[in-house]
Amino acid sequence: MLPIALDALIKIAVVIGGLMTAAAYLVLAERWIAAWIQDREGPNRVGVPLTKIRLFGLGQPLADGVKFIFKAEYTPGHVDKGLYFLAPVMIFASALAVFAVIPFGGLLPGNIFPASWGVSEPINLVIAPRLDVGMIYVFAMGSIAIYGVVLGGWASNNKYSFLGGLRSSAQLIAYELPMGLGILGVVLSAGSLRLDTIMQQQAQTGAWNAFVQPLGMVVFCVAAFAEATRLPFDLPEAEQELIGGYHTEYFGIKLMMYLVGEYLHMITAAFLIVILFFGGWHFWGLTGSSDTVTWTQAILRIIVLNVKVLGMIFFFMVARWSWARFRYDQLMSLAWLVMLPMGMVNIAYVAVWQEYGEQLATQAGLPPQIAMAVCGWAVLVATWFVGASMAPPAGDNRPRRTPLEPSFPMNLEIPEGAGR
Amino acid sequence: MNPSQGVLAVGTVLAAAGLWLLLPRGNERGRMLGGVLVIAALGCYGAQIPAVGDWFAKGMFHAIALVTVVGAVATISFRSPVYCAIWFGLTLSGTAGLFLLAGAEFLAISTIVVYAGAILVTFLFVLMLSEPEGYTTYDRRSWEAMIAAPTGAVLVGILTMTIAASISMAAQTDTTHASLEKSPSAAKNAIAADAVATPTVPPPTISELGAQLFTRYLISVEAAGVLLFAALVGAAALVTQGGVGRSRTAAATSSGPREGAAHAS
Repeated sequence: MLPIALDALIKIAVVIGGLMTAAAYLVLAERWIAAWIQDREGPNRVGVPLTKIRLFGLGQPLADGVKFIFKAEYTPGHVDKGLYFLAPVMIFASALAVFAVIPFGGLLPGNIFPASWGVSEPINLVIAPRLDVGMIYVFAMGSIAIYGVVLGGWASNNKYSFLGGLRSSAQLIAYELPMGLGILGVVLSAGSLRLDTIMQQQAQTGAWNAFVQPLGMVVFCVAAFAEATRLPFDLPEAEQELIGGYHTEYFGIKLMMYLVGEYLHMITAAFLIVILFFGGWHFWGLTGSSDTVTWTQAILRIIVLNVKVLGMIFFFMVARWSWARFRYDQLMSLAWLVMLPMGMVNIAYVAVWQEYGEQLATQAGLPPQIAMAVCGWAVLVATWFVGASMAPPAGDNRPRRTPLEPSFPMNLEIPEGAGR
Repeated sequence: MNPSQGVLAVGTVLAAAGLWLLLPRGNERGRMLGGVLVIAALGCYGAQIPAVGDWFAKGMFHAIALVTVVGAVATISFRSPVYCAIWFGLTLSGTAGLFLLAGAEFLAISTIVVYAGAILVTFLFVLMLSEPEGYTTYDRRSWEAMIAAPTGAVLVGILTMTIAASISMAAQTDTTHASLEKSPSAAKNAIAADAVATPTVPPPTISELGAQLFTRYLISVEAAGVLLFAALVGAAALVTQGGVGRSRTAAATSSGPREGAAHAS
């Protein structure tokens, strides 16, 4: 009992400490990357306090944190007090709680404890290793996080905040469906909802899901961007239109909870994309793929997983400056008319492959993973082609009043004087 | 009527009175008294349920159960619909915790996913349709408090009586078994399993649940699927009525309330 509790507490300490530090330094990294893309310097001044040592601006997160914490704690007079305090706590707590099921490495060999404790099994580097429903748990916490946004927008008693809250609720609910569809293909091929089993399966076959189910990866990545409300999906915040959306009326430590929660969502999304589609801790020839590990392999697995996650976060940050924000109707029709059907096609493809394709490939003497990868890319190209021919990219891009109105062929008669 | 049934009857009366006082009836008088009465009623109910498990499991169960019950009472007694929705969310989280404690992982998590998603929609309806602030009180009052409170109290009382009776019966049979086997401590732990009057089942996993759903309960799953599909088609038919296939000006000139609603969505 005691080693198990101790084990969980140590993991919680490591995860929370690591995440808080990571969130702080990712803010700095994001500002550096933004500066690099926009061809300017970025934060490079704050170093050791009271000296002239600059350290490339590495002191910036600490200074930001201190600034946030010591800001005057002022509550606007027109807000709903209880919910105004509850909303950031809710989003922050749910964003942290997700990490109970997200592995931050592979396994550790069991011989770090003294032999007298009787623990010899390898240690699973996830806080709740026995939870059988890891993937659905992530969804559950994600659906609780929406409350933080909607409540914050409503409790602020501000039109901009409320608009941001409403936009975000519609967006997050809409994109939960393609996200679920993207996951289902992976779950179907791994036969488990546990993230460590999914990684183990990819490691054993050596074929990452990104290669064998590229359509699922596209759907899931887009949906994950939308769920993390990162650009080009950041309509809930939209500084230029809504002055920050749901957190317009927040400042000080409550704003910091919102911002850190947002970064945690991005980290969660990066972890999920890497674990579900890019093999997690697996890398060919480096990490091995068995259930038992040596110390070298264990450390390599941790490094590989976290490097992949950092790479994915870098992709998130670069994507931020590569696309313009979607218009609202584009956002909705992307979810319902493009991503949802594509996700269904992916599930159908994976199901058919699991049932028939693998047998056919082995009978024909082909290596099943390569055959599946070829089929997967063929499905992706075919779906892409069908989708593109149904809605030509050079067609009508004017706003539609309902997503079901056809944009092509153009039979719309816009009334005189209607704004474009 | 044995003494425990008498205590339950007293508890039911106390719960009915307390809930009636707690419900938002339009005036604030007696809400403190109502709270005290409900706590006393909970004591009466709780005294009937024998404790099961070791101290840690017991403590966890009592803490989560308290959160759930407090959340449930607050759900019906708060005046602002927004707060009611939030307290309802807390109640559901507590319920999920109790499921998790009983080993039903999938049920616990899907309670949060399904119900939290659903209440979020409820919550949005509340935001859109009700008036949380202002002079009108029609959506901040409970209607028929006089009927609702006793009904709820009687329901909880009968459920408590049934559960307590089944548990004590299981305990009696178990102690007779245990006296034969000379292992009273094992009997205490087995009460929980026997109370639900099922044969010993292995801890449910997702794969077993899926196998059950697609073998034994296949008809139910298919029926639910058909029902949901029919609902989906119905919703799509309602939305697209007069929308697709007609030009925008035609839809705008033949102005009906339905078409206007369809376009506004």
